[in-house]
Amino acid sequence: MLGLAFAIAASIAVSPVTLLALSTLSMLFVLAFRDQSPWSKSVVFYIRLAGIVIAIRVLFRIIFNLEASPANPLLVLPELNLDLGNEVSLHLLGPISSASLLAALTDGLRLAAIILAIGMANSLANPMKLLKSTPGALYEIATAISIAINLAPQLISSLNRVRRARGLRGQSKGIKSLPGLVIPVLEDTIDQSMTLAASMSARGFGRKGSQSKGRLQLTRFIGLTGLFLIAVGVFLLILNPTNQVLDLVVTLSGLLSTVIYIKMSALGSLRTRYSVQKFRSGDYLLYAFAAALLLLSFSGVLTI
Amino acid sequence: MISLKDLSFSYLKPNGQPVTETPQLNRVNLEISQGEFVLVCGPTGSGKSTLLKALNGLAPSFTGGLLTGEIYIDGENLTGKEPHDFAHLVGYVNQQPEGFFVTDTVIDEIVYGSEQLGISVVEIEKRIKPIVEILKIEHLLTRPLSTLSGGEQQRVAIASALVAGQKVLLLDEPTSALDLTGATEVIKVLKSLVQSFGITVLLAEHRISRVIAEVDSVLVVHGDGSVTKGEPAKQFNDDRFAPPIIELGVKLGWKPLAIATEDAALLWSSSNRSFESKTIKTPALPIISTKELSVKYGELTAVAPTNLDFFGNQITAIMGENGSGKTSLCWAIQGLGHRSSGTVLLDGLDTSELAKTARLDLVAMIPQRASDLLFLHTLGEELHESDVFAEVEDGTTASLFQKLAGRIDPSIHPRDLSAGQQLAAVLSIQLAKQAKVLILDEPTRGLDYAAKRALAKQLQQLQSPERTIILATHDIEFIAEVADRVIRLESGKVVADTSPVEALSWPSPYASQIAQITRTPGLISIGQVSK
Repeated sequence: MLGLAFAIAASIAVSPVTLLALSTLSMLFVLAFRDQSPWSKSVVFYIRLAGIVIAIRVLFRIIFNLEASPANPLLVLPELNLDLGNEVSLHLLGPISSASLLAALTDGLRLAAIILAIGMANSLANPMKLLKSTPGALYEIATAISIAINLAPQLISSLNRVRRARGLRGQSKGIKSLPGLVIPVLEDTIDQSMTLAASMSARGFGRKGSQSKGRLQLTRFIGLTGLFLIAVGVFLLILNPTNQVLDLVVTLSGLLSTVIYIKMSALGSLRTRYSVQKFRSGDYLLYAFAAALLLLSFSGVLTI
Repeated sequence: MISLKDLSFSYLKPNGQPVTETPQLNRVNLEISQGEFVLVCGPTGSGKSTLLKALNGLAPSFTGGLLTGEIYIDGENLTGKEPHDFAHLVGYVNQQPEGFFVTDTVIDEIVYGSEQLGISVVEIEKRIKPIVEILKIEHLLTRPLSTLSGGEQQRVAIASALVAGQKVLLLDEPTSALDLTGATEVIKVLKSLVQSFGITVLLAEHRISRVIAEVDSVLVVHGDGSVTKGEPAKQFNDDRFAPPIIELGVKLGWKPLAIATEDAALLWSSSNRSFESKTIKTPALPIISTKELSVKYGELTAVAPTNLDFFGNQITAIMGENGSGKTSLCWAIQGLGHRSSGTVLLDGLDTSELAKTARLDLVAMIPQRASDLLFLHTLGEELHESDVFAEVEDGTTASLFQKLAGRIDPSIHPRDLSAGQQLAAVLSIQLAKQAKVLILDEPTRGLDYAAKRALAKQLQQLQSPERTIILATHDIEFIAEVADRVIRLESGKVVADTSPVEALSWPSPYASQIAQITRTPGLISIGQVSK
């Protein structure tokens, strides 16, 4: 949720200073709230990715220099003109102005800020906890998602193990190295997910409640429509802020049908909840912060 | 409580034909009463797991295959039902709880099953209490599952299988990954569950020596499709899975066989008690030596600085509980593993500085999961690839394999070999170049007694003055059988470096089963006892 707010704010913000502030802030959040779970380590990966993205963006701007002849060049590189025929020519390198570099840097920073925001969400939110706090009706979807997310770290750990083991044997040149790695790892992964599925089933997951089939289908239909409407609504809100009334209507009706879906499927559900995850005061603070950030970005403060 | 009528089960090929001519389970008829503690045993691959999985619907739902006959549990006909339809009656715990956990904290895991069954929160509260008390996990409830020890994890798995009020508990080799302390804990807990709640327990186990005296009956899955049930003492006529205590009884002609250590001790003291002293191979020259070798991961010291020489001719066992640093030490000696300080010298060179192929030629290591080293489509290809890589004459690896495991069809897929055969294949691949150092990390995991005996013979065949064999394991019976020297690790420190006779004799806390029965210093393995 907070990650989403950050990402939206970043996509709207224009000034590099704001973007830099946003990135720093999201990293600070990670430092403040992360725990010892393996998830928290993934943030390193996102930081690297963000750095690479900025570097590539700036590099591209230098190579594919669009400005013909800037007023006050910061850096003068030899210009390369490639004639592609048909009177189209491609300028490579050449003089670069500080303004153009700054624009590239800002673009890169924006992408980086979005990546960091996602990284923050990923390293703070444990998918298992996510599963706990989803409403009962979304349980099946949430389970599928959390299994899928869980596969990634498991895949990496078995890849490491097999690679280490393979280092003990070595292989001749005629043998492709891929099957040697992929076969045991895939086998591991499939085994693991089968075990997990078997375990869930053996403990009663998937027992049917008292709902009739037709009603189940209707409930699912309403749920999917709701999700679709929300997605379209949010998309429009971000891309096309001119017709905000229509966008709001779409989003709200999506939200409404999702709520109906949740209520409907909760009715026939057999499951009980031993401990629903309670919000701590810190969580409320985070939500408030996210809401404020969203408000700010839509009110146009950040576009200055 | 459980009643099986004409139960048959076969695995099917993709074309719908059964994989083997005789089904895995063939017309099994069984009655198990409430509160019975049943040990399920049989050779590796005989169908123990399949039988347990049939009792909670995982077979055929998750394994594929064809099941016929009828299954009644607590009077309910559950034939052909899905696993979730068994969930309110049957709890299931498998070998590696960490792969079976659905959530990530202890309390979430324990209540998961009850939530799925729709048990009210008040009722869940009421049921948790006595179960966590008997399993001694009250203090762990808020802990993340990943921070628990293997034994604790296994107890949490048992709790979560029983909190929803299940009346039957199925356990598929729950102690195979545990050290002695952990395994004993789990068995004790099972016994008390049977006694205080009248729960029916079916326990499939390889390491039966410590369980056999606790159970009410023994169910043997013979591997030819038949399953028999009877009193513990009468069930062991097949030495493929007989523990040392039974072997001893058979060897000395005891009738009836003793199954409890105390009974066997009485019988032993009235026999003629003759035995040979343990043959220990004399050490040749040292082959590989560690100098101030240590391994640290952050703050944690896995291996404290050690100075050890490993001698030719000898099999050195490195024993210690889970987490005592055995695996770290093995990898550090091999050269690929992480080291914090020190060197490991082999022919005057440090193993971590050897070129990759030179290291592979000199040091052969078999990791915990030997099957990770197999990746081709047939056994023949694997053995041939090994010859090509090692640049030795074609057929070298194959003949070594045949020496170790006998003649096996080379067109078979490596995954279809038994655990013992896979190990033999990896052994011969790793030794194709006549490595001077052979390191095995926990090689007996998942092997039945017959496979362990075969492995012991193989290792003894491989002993030579030019080779030293290092074995990391917590399998005391196996150490008693093969080791010439025992090094014991405790939290990364070498606390003992002695002969196996000294380490495993009565009254050491690590006494082997034979030592416990005979209470005779110097007598630790069945091979020493004369008829």
